[in-house]
Amino acid sequence: MEALNLRDDSGENSAIAAHNSMQLIAFSIGEQTYGVEITTVREIRAWNGATPLPNTREFVRGVINLRGTIVPIFDLRARFGDGPTSPTKNHVVVVMSVGEKWVGILVDAVSDILTVSREDIHNVPEGNSVDTELLNGIVTHDSRMVGLIDLHAVVSGAKLDG
Amino acid sequence: MSDLDDFKATYFDECSELLNELEEQFAAIEAGERDSDRLNAVFRAIHSIKGGAGAFGFSALVGFAHAYETLLDYVRDGRVELTDDVCALCIRANDIIADHVKAAQSGDVLAADYGMEEKERFDALARGESADDDDETGGEIIEEFDIDFTPVMVNLEAPAEDDAAPAEDAFDTAPLQPESGHWEVIFTPHRALYERANDPLLLFRELAALGQMHTRAVLGEIPPLANFEPFAVYCSWEISIVSPTLTEAAIREVFEFVEGDCDITVTQVGASAAPASAKSAPAAAADAGLDLLALADDEVGVAPAKSAAKSSAKAASAASAQDKFEEAPGLSFSELAETMAPPPKPAAPPRAKPTALAAAAPAADGEEHAGRAVGVQSIRVDLDKVDRVVNMVGELVITQSMLTQQMDETLRARYTELVRGLEVLAQTTRGLQDSVMAIRAQPVKSVFSRMPRLVRELATKTGKKIKLETIGENTEIDKTVIEQLSDPLTHMIRNSADHGIEQPEVRLGRGKSETGTIRLSAEQAGGNILIIVEDDGGGINRERVLQVARDKGVIPPDTNPTDEQIDQLIFAPGFSTAAEVSDLSGRGVGMDVVLSNIKKIGGSVHVRSSTGKGTRMTLRLPLTLAVLDVMLVKVGDSPYVVPLSSIVETIQVSRASFERVPSGGQVLQVRGEYVQVIDLAKRFDMKGQTDPESRFVVLCEAEGSQKVALIVDDIIGQQQVVIKSLEENFERVEGIAGGTILGDGNVALIVDVQGLKTQLIHKNAA
Repeated sequence: MEALNLRDDSGENSAIAAHNSMQLIAFSIGEQTYGVEITTVREIRAWNGATPLPNTREFVRGVINLRGTIVPIFDLRARFGDGPTSPTKNHVVVVMSVGEKWVGILVDAVSDILTVSREDIHNVPEGNSVDTELLNGIVTHDSRMVGLIDLHAVVSGAKLDG
Repeated sequence: MSDLDDFKATYFDECSELLNELEEQFAAIEAGERDSDRLNAVFRAIHSIKGGAGAFGFSALVGFAHAYETLLDYVRDGRVELTDDVCALCIRANDIIADHVKAAQSGDVLAADYGMEEKERFDALARGESADDDDETGGEIIEEFDIDFTPVMVNLEAPAEDDAAPAEDAFDTAPLQPESGHWEVIFTPHRALYERANDPLLLFRELAALGQMHTRAVLGEIPPLANFEPFAVYCSWEISIVSPTLTEAAIREVFEFVEGDCDITVTQVGASAAPASAKSAPAAAADAGLDLLALADDEVGVAPAKSAAKSSAKAASAASAQDKFEEAPGLSFSELAETMAPPPKPAAPPRAKPTALAAAAPAADGEEHAGRAVGVQSIRVDLDKVDRVVNMVGELVITQSMLTQQMDETLRARYTELVRGLEVLAQTTRGLQDSVMAIRAQPVKSVFSRMPRLVRELATKTGKKIKLETIGENTEIDKTVIEQLSDPLTHMIRNSADHGIEQPEVRLGRGKSETGTIRLSAEQAGGNILIIVEDDGGGINRERVLQVARDKGVIPPDTNPTDEQIDQLIFAPGFSTAAEVSDLSGRGVGMDVVLSNIKKIGGSVHVRSSTGKGTRMTLRLPLTLAVLDVMLVKVGDSPYVVPLSSIVETIQVSRASFERVPSGGQVLQVRGEYVQVIDLAKRFDMKGQTDPESRFVVLCEAEGSQKVALIVDDIIGQQQVVIKSLEENFERVEGIAGGTILGDGNVALIVDVQGLKTQLIHKNAA
């Protein structure tokens, strides 16, 4: 179901990819590789600190100045429940558009641009609730498993309730 | 959004500008400047409003504007004297036009008889004048126009003439007449019509949809080929349409977009000669707005065609045509048109009559274009586009200051050229910033010009005599500030009219002039704009204000505020001294709206009152909203900014006196007042400083003069910042009003003082 959705809404976006394939930006958090569709990525920049936002969950690292607009940064490691990243200059922020908004995602490194076939996208196995919540699907590339990030899910629930 | 909606939006934009201009022109006319330039400007404005309204089918507006325009036309060429009464009527008419425009914009329907009284007075004025004009009609028609008398005349003649009856119960007299039958249209396109890429065939197709149509091209003017000029227009058409429900308005609507580029006459062909003359005269004269006039003449037994023709022709100052028609007094217009038609050329005098009719509007159009050309040249730009430029310039300023900060002494000594370049860059950037801000700046006139009407209405409702003086309406403020100004100003003027100015008899008793004055002024004072509303009324009744404030629990019963503090109480939420809730004010909302609106845009309100002499309310507003004066502080290690407008004072924590309250919280004692304390580091869950020497209390004033003390970890300094939205890419965060970008490129968050205070109350209540 999730994979099907992805196929639907990305079909018209990816002009580069062939009809039944899509291109992903792959990035790593620890040993794990994740990917987002290349068309959603606006830019990739080195971590240069962020101004912390009060009254938000721990996975909101704060906000940065992206050429005059204020863009929130989400710590993907913390979002997956593995605790906050201790970022260095080598860490990377991937700026993406989610609907109308631009958000940045803090990851360890950007590794690759992958072209995958849509048919190779599998549903996320039931079990780990965080994975099913935050991933759209799983694809295998060069015998590596790449989790497809559901950006809408990642950025939701950022505010601290009460 | 469809194209039509776009056009409509533009039209309403233009309308509001034109209505403002009307107010302005009439303010001058009322003050005695009755020159033709002003009248022409008024005429142009009304004509433009009418034109657009016609295109969008706002028929009530068109009808009213049309009658008004007719009167103005008469005033313009001196046939109706611009007396004070007429002037007052015109001002009232402007208000009605404004209401019609508003109704059209919001899709509301006004009462069918709205503005009827005024419209009848226009007609009466016009008709009264025609009586003067036509000496031959004898003394039966009133010698001078009498605005009160003449409407009765309409009623008298209405039952006498079948065709006149429907004419008087609608705005659009002639067009709305449900006349049936056979219409003749003579259509003579000008060269301009073709030059603007109009195709008569399309017009004919549209006409054909109205009824059974027959066209005949008049080709007699086509010269021999040798004399043939390729771009000249030699062809005109005679069209007859038959449809039982067809109205002249429907026919004219077809030609709406070519009006001015062609001559059109629309005449109705009646069954018998006598009714035909009665009908055709008004039909023909309708465009010059003389329908009722013609009917009136008909009623008193004067050859109708003659008078109609005469006045119509005069309306366009076509003297030669007038002579022609005076020679043929016995003919009805339709006959006349027929006899004149055969030698059909635009230049021929007989044809000048229809030409004259159609020319009335184009003449005004021409003036309009001319007026625009010599007036202030401006373009209409989407505010978003300007905002984008403002933002980019903001970035530029920040980048520039960042570069300057990077220059240390060694670099300065080494790269003198670079330093010079940076200095020039700094200068240019500042100039650019000023210019960009100036684009958004608008004169306060746009708000001030709405106020005379408000005062007139208030004066009528309260039975008081009130005069409004405006000063400095060309003072410019940022557009966003202006938008926020309208409501507070309305409330303040209402307050002055309702509570300030006394009834005429009271004023006389106090030795003041019967007419109260409200003075509205704007001036620039440094980086602020002062808007002052001043009245010469009774001043604030402090005893009563204090009493009410105590009764309503706005202040504790045992406090003894100073006079000035009492005056400020009128801005407290829920406060109103009006013994009776009037239509105008006294519902306990109003002045607190003023305060909160003004606070919202970073301004302040101050009131000073002198018993028996009057009240003065001063609004202090920032020049622009895009730039905010702030104090830069540190909370934990993060930069935060607090708007300067809300800061009362700062105190070192080690010197402040705190008290514990039973709930465990802290309060600050400052000059006998106890103020809630918020430790921002704690509130924002950050590691704050522990050394009280380096921490500061920032005493802030929230809405309704309530104070709150914020504890910050350091004060860095003051600066101007450009406000950025957090919601654009994220969502609203509690206690944060937005963000801004500092000189080093980092983001600082703006403390939401009001939000924190409200949160505090909420938490305490829970």
